[in-house]
Amino acid sequence: MKAVLALAWRETRGAARHFAYFAACVTVGVAAIVSVGSFAASLERTVGRSARALMGGDAEIRGMRPLSPEAERAASDAATDGATITRVRELAAMAQARTGTQLVELKAVEPGYPFYGTLVAEPDRPLFELIGGGRALVHASLLERLGLRVGDHLVLGDRDFAISGVILQEPDRAVGVFSLGPRVLIAGADLDSTGLVRPGSRVRHRTLFRLPEGADAEDFVKRLAGQVPDSAVRITTYTQAQPGLRRFWDQLTMYLGLTGLVALMVGGIGVAVSVRAFVRGKLDAIAILKSLGAGWRQILAAYLCQTALLGLGGSALGAAIGWAVQPLLAPVLARLLPFPVNLAVSPIAIAKGIALGVGVTLLFALWPLLEIRRVPPALILRRDVEPTLRGRRPWLALVPIAAGLGALALWQAGSWMIGILFIAGLGGALIALALGARLVAALAKRSRARSLAWRQGVANLHRPGSHAGAVLVSLGLAVMLIVAVALLEGSLRQQLDHASAETAPAFFFIDVQPDQAEGLKSLLSGMGASALELTPVVRSRLSAIDGAPISPDARTRRDDPWFLTREYVLTWAGAPPAGNSVIAGRWWTAEEAAREPLISVEEDIAKHLGVRLGSTLTFDIQGVPVTGRVVNVRRVDWQTFNSNFFVIFSPGTLSGAPATYIATAHVRPEDEGRVQSAVVGAFSNVTAIPVREVLARVSSVLDQIALAMRLVAGFSIVSGLVVMAGALSITRQQRLYQSVMLKVLGATRGFVLRVFAVEYALLGAGAGLAGAALAAVLAWAVLRFALEVPWTWDPVMLGAGVAAATVLALGIGLFGTSRLLGQKPLGVLRGE
Amino acid sequence: MIRIRDLSMRLASGSRVVDVLSNVSLDVPDGQFLAVAGPSGSGKSTLLGLIAGLDQPTSGRIQVADVEITALGEDALARFRRDTVGYVFQAYHLLPTLTALENVAVPLELAGDRDAMARAAALLADVGLAERAHHYPVQLSGGEQQRVAVARAVGRRPRLLLADEPTGNLDSGTGKQIIDLLVDLNQNLASTLVLVTHDATLAAHADRVVTLRDGRIVSDEPMLRDLPR
Repeated sequence: MKAVLALAWRETRGAARHFAYFAACVTVGVAAIVSVGSFAASLERTVGRSARALMGGDAEIRGMRPLSPEAERAASDAATDGATITRVRELAAMAQARTGTQLVELKAVEPGYPFYGTLVAEPDRPLFELIGGGRALVHASLLERLGLRVGDHLVLGDRDFAISGVILQEPDRAVGVFSLGPRVLIAGADLDSTGLVRPGSRVRHRTLFRLPEGADAEDFVKRLAGQVPDSAVRITTYTQAQPGLRRFWDQLTMYLGLTGLVALMVGGIGVAVSVRAFVRGKLDAIAILKSLGAGWRQILAAYLCQTALLGLGGSALGAAIGWAVQPLLAPVLARLLPFPVNLAVSPIAIAKGIALGVGVTLLFALWPLLEIRRVPPALILRRDVEPTLRGRRPWLALVPIAAGLGALALWQAGSWMIGILFIAGLGGALIALALGARLVAALAKRSRARSLAWRQGVANLHRPGSHAGAVLVSLGLAVMLIVAVALLEGSLRQQLDHASAETAPAFFFIDVQPDQAEGLKSLLSGMGASALELTPVVRSRLSAIDGAPISPDARTRRDDPWFLTREYVLTWAGAPPAGNSVIAGRWWTAEEAAREPLISVEEDIAKHLGVRLGSTLTFDIQGVPVTGRVVNVRRVDWQTFNSNFFVIFSPGTLSGAPATYIATAHVRPEDEGRVQSAVVGAFSNVTAIPVREVLARVSSVLDQIALAMRLVAGFSIVSGLVVMAGALSITRQQRLYQSVMLKVLGATRGFVLRVFAVEYALLGAGAGLAGAALAAVLAWAVLRFALEVPWTWDPVMLGAGVAAATVLALGIGLFGTSRLLGQKPLGVLRGE
Repeated sequence: MIRIRDLSMRLASGSRVVDVLSNVSLDVPDGQFLAVAGPSGSGKSTLLGLIAGLDQPTSGRIQVADVEITALGEDALARFRRDTVGYVFQAYHLLPTLTALENVAVPLELAGDRDAMARAAALLADVGLAERAHHYPVQLSGGEQQRVAVARAVGRRPRLLLADEPTGNLDSGTGKQIIDLLVDLNQNLASTLVLVTHDATLAAHADRVVTLRDGRIVSDEPMLRDLPR
């Protein structure tokens, strides 16, 4: 074995060029994975370190209504045990100034806030010297938008506030991704005098606890949860601070990580190509070793060791590059974050990247290395042009190889479902691309072009040992990824543009009190607003399904309990709203509705809750249980910007419940400012959400995500090009020979260049076509099944993908080949 | 036809510098069949390659058909080979991705011949391989490959035929066929034929035998049997 290992090592030295490409294939993918992984780890660490500040306390009770009496009692018990308590209320509200109105995120705090972290303001004074007594701190963007300065006044609800300063940094602001407007910070006592908090208003209530030194937050939260049976509140420790933000980032970094894994898989194909060529070149050496008595297992083990070492080298380099390029990726992602991320070396991300790199290398190398088994020792006795190996290919070995790659993908995904989807998608794409490569080879064999350059170039695609298939698959995979990202982005953007241009209303007005509804209506129609819609809403919690109460246990046991704990906004209607279609049961008649409370549920929520026609649902409306029977299931077109509802009651049932109204209205863009000011001036508690502005914000978030995706997907393209360069390097001798022979027969350099150009362009175009076609399928599937956004046919993007693949392949190919053209024929032929 | 003056070729072989050819001067008249003999390493093949413009000599000049080929650029050399030279190699050097027919057609197509395929088919028939036209080189025997190579070399009716040990890889019977083919063509096309060989019996077919040793001409003799012709 030692001797075989030594031999394997000596051969590595001899085939340095081969192995440089081999390592480079791994390097690019690992770089992608490590750059994403390091960023995710840095983010995780930053969040972890400032988790208490992100919550503003050690523990929190969070809900959409004030604490229940039990919760109040539990909180005061905690206080007697030494915990300190403060309350924070957050809501969307309209700020009015002499210069205009603006939707703001209003936050009211009480002394003690924040327990952790610091609220940095300008001027730099203690917080409660800046707020309280009709003073407000605001974010600079509010001053900018309304053209105000510190010292100016603004009106919130019914109360006038003096702007006392600017918020520079707010420890527990859960934004970064989506926010409705600039922050305005006031004292809790002042909020009560604004009149903004009315029945049915959307207010988030947070009760923050600071525990005495040494107290365990987990224990505390567990005890608290036991005392507060209210299903409508979340009780969490600081380690679960900002759950929405974390979920968003976990998902984003997971998808980016999988995108990086594709780059590594593309490189894996390059590894396979490189190892296959290497083994093909070593058949004699293997035959000699076998005839000297070495077993195939021994030889395989030696070459596997060699492969692992090379994979390790390539991966280590990749990890270094991944770390080095992190400053490129980080700023793009950091723009989505409310706080700065300290980039740090993450040994775990690096180790994981290297492990994935070595794993992918070994698995992709195994298949070609198994050829060793089939090399007959008698090969040394013969001098065949194409040596024949004995026995059949060990197809069964593909099973553990595929399983191994699947395991790596699952590891990287960190989720069974996403991992399996990824594997299925990647496997399907690989099979489709391999079939595509076969098709190209078959077409190339058939084709009898008139021009010699074309015929030669096409013939190069299917000659033995051309590796065109592998290049096509790897490049195609890369093209698929990057075009799919572009198509997804395009479709989403189209959707946003479409929404903001036509279908979407200009405003959502929320928290309209019943006595204001008529007034709002006449005000809006008087100002030329159209498509006015006023819908009554009642806020509630789901408390029982089929009479079975939703236990706190059920809430924690399930993976995704949002549909149990979320706030249900109920409405009632005599007929199905526009954009809704009944898919099971039928809509109620007036007589049926008069007999008993009936319910219509949206199909997804019905599936989540496990309710059928005839099931009953009980909702808790400010302490009053209301039960209804499900008589139909609706499909909702969520693309319409109407007010859509998961649950609709039959008319009459909710008439006694505290309702507010939401209104939508279409307004000409140039009238939007005027309408907003008029509504807010007349109804100070009504919040106007300008849809166009929100969509613009969504659009800019989409920009950042797409840019990050493109950056990471770009690694796959580099990987694909490295694979291609490697394949070209393997066939360098054949190309040199071809070029020289054509020149001997009287071909000019330009002609030889044309031959190669035809080959590379066809290769790129083939990969581009296959990749673009698969990208269309992938994007369609994601849009249809995951995002539920209509697919937009984008031939320009698909064409651009094909064109870019062609140009890139042509560029890399000609760059790698141009040096061959200058070679003098005589020297080459003598060397043959 | 060929006029060579003070031709030297110096090649680096590892750290050593080897004089492959030293001050060779040679004139070959139109239509002559010249055999270049000598032991291996004597510079025969290099001389032949330089005559075809496959490399640049270190010094000296070569004129072929009144063209100073040592002064030509690479593309001009390629055109010169296409129009004037037919080359047959010991290792056949057929393009592996093309069929026999397509191999023969390459020089014709490079010259823009519209009937390249038909002409190539006729040429293959001339060398007795009509029925092997659509086979790839790997599917042909050595002798067949070399006959394809000869058909390829003469397709443009070149004024100069160069053959580098064309029978070196063949058994004696097949080798004889190839030599007969070349000699026939030399006579029928009235082209000049330069044949490199270390085989005295092959050299005996020639009008004239030049012998090289260590890069120098050591003898230059007419073959008497051809005097009456």
